[in-house]
Amino acid sequence: MAETFGVKDVESTLARQTLLDADLVRPVNRDPIRLLPWLDVVVLGGRVMDRGGKTVTTLVGELRKAMKSHRMLVLTGPGIRGRHVLGVGLDLGLPTGVLAGLVAAEAETNGHLLAGLLAADGASYVPHATAGHQLSTHLAACPLVVSNGYPPFGLYEPPPPAGKLPRYGSDAGALLLADSYGANQLIYVKDVDGIHDADGKTRKKITTTEAAALRTLPVERTVLELLDRAKHVRSVRIINGLKSGTLTDALAGKKIGTLLTAD
Amino acid sequence: MRGARFMSDPGTTLLGRPLDDPDLLAATAGAPDYPILPNATVLKIGGQSVLDRGRSAVYPLIDQMVELKTEHPLLIGTGGGTRARHAYTVGTGLGLPTGVLSDVGSAVAGQNARMLGYLMARYGVPTVGNEAFSALPLYLSEVHAVVFPGMPPYGMWHPTPEEGLLPPYRTDAGVFLIGEVYGCKQLIYVKDEDGLYTANPKTNPDATLIPRATVDEVEAMNLPDVVVERPVLRMLKSARYIRSIQVINGLTPGNLRRAVEGEHVGTIITAD
Repeated sequence: MAETFGVKDVESTLARQTLLDADLVRPVNRDPIRLLPWLDVVVLGGRVMDRGGKTVTTLVGELRKAMKSHRMLVLTGPGIRGRHVLGVGLDLGLPTGVLAGLVAAEAETNGHLLAGLLAADGASYVPHATAGHQLSTHLAACPLVVSNGYPPFGLYEPPPPAGKLPRYGSDAGALLLADSYGANQLIYVKDVDGIHDADGKTRKKITTTEAAALRTLPVERTVLELLDRAKHVRSVRIINGLKSGTLTDALAGKKIGTLLTAD
Repeated sequence: MRGARFMSDPGTTLLGRPLDDPDLLAATAGAPDYPILPNATVLKIGGQSVLDRGRSAVYPLIDQMVELKTEHPLLIGTGGGTRARHAYTVGTGLGLPTGVLSDVGSAVAGQNARMLGYLMARYGVPTVGNEAFSALPLYLSEVHAVVFPGMPPYGMWHPTPEEGLLPPYRTDAGVFLIGEVYGCKQLIYVKDEDGLYTANPKTNPDATLIPRATVDEVEAMNLPDVVVERPVLRMLKSARYIRSIQVINGLTPGNLRRAVEGEHVGTIITAD
């Protein structure tokens, strides 16, 4: 059968190659632009959301005030219900990709709870597709948008090197999205003061290599490797959301909590 | 800790520990495995290598897939190809981030899935997107095959590569992940070369075929160019179900049928 319409290639620098030979791909490498350089990304950890009540309403009050001077994407984590569904799913023998989608649903639930409290201020919960494609429109309408911290990997969650738990949680998802948008800053709101070193002291500043050596971290370990590869977001701040005023201070650029920086 | 019950055993309870706790991770490694679609075969039909060639390459593969599917239910993923390469060239030139390029790649794999789907429509085979994956078991039991776009839907969340901007998880990776999450029987990459070579056989006449290798062996060869995306090799080592892949030349008549029926006709890469 003759290839009658055989226009096989569209000419381009990358045509007729596998895209896997670094030398052949290098001609198109360059630094990416920042799509939303003024965007502040705030992650409300699941453990913080789990507390509900005064903890959440205080943070909502701070976010509401910050809307006057910041344009923010607020992302939520899954918290204790995420742990529960992971436990059930693991016990049933379900694979990592299914578990990832199940936990992500709990992060979404927390997003809906938060967005409800800010609805009268104009904020909405937007699903992944909207956060990835129509964020600008939503931010033009309201300076605060709520979405799911989990990345939309679901079935496509890569199998982890050890065990069966998904490695890309809400901390990792938020960093990936913030970096894609070239955001101004990324703040993780947790239930501890920051990263504690081996002596239990809160570090004001720590590098990813130093943090990797610690046994417990308040952020997902995946964040360390993603931060080292990130193009724009080269540091993230971890603050204690249980202490009133810390989020306001962090958004204002005050050196509070721990600044985790890429190597 | 095999057989630990994650709801109740104090040693492995998920409720109190950080999810990256090494003991917890070790315990989850012993969790039971329940493959979701253990009889399915996953195929990746290359974009540049097969679909861009048009009917001379595609029609014979469709004939083989139609013959195979009753006995071997097929999940058929599609690659991107030359249009993706063009869009990546334009996009990187404009400095657009990996996330935007990921969406661009998805669109091209989606076009290819639609084209293949229309060609298989008369046999009842549907094209499914990410939203329609929930109906996949029904399609497989009724018509024994589905077509899907191979690109993982990472979009603006696409992990950044070590170097440059191109999305590292492209259609080879996406199809691998589908095979792994569904616990499928086998995964075959249908391309236009007989398998993995010591160099790119299209540009290097001295390249020789490597019929079988482990991931460690492939990595030790430090090849500048490989026949499947590198994340696939890495994921193969971590996978629980897809422990080997075969890369075959789909342009050779009958090769696809032979590979699906278990013959070694290309390069087999194993996890260990």
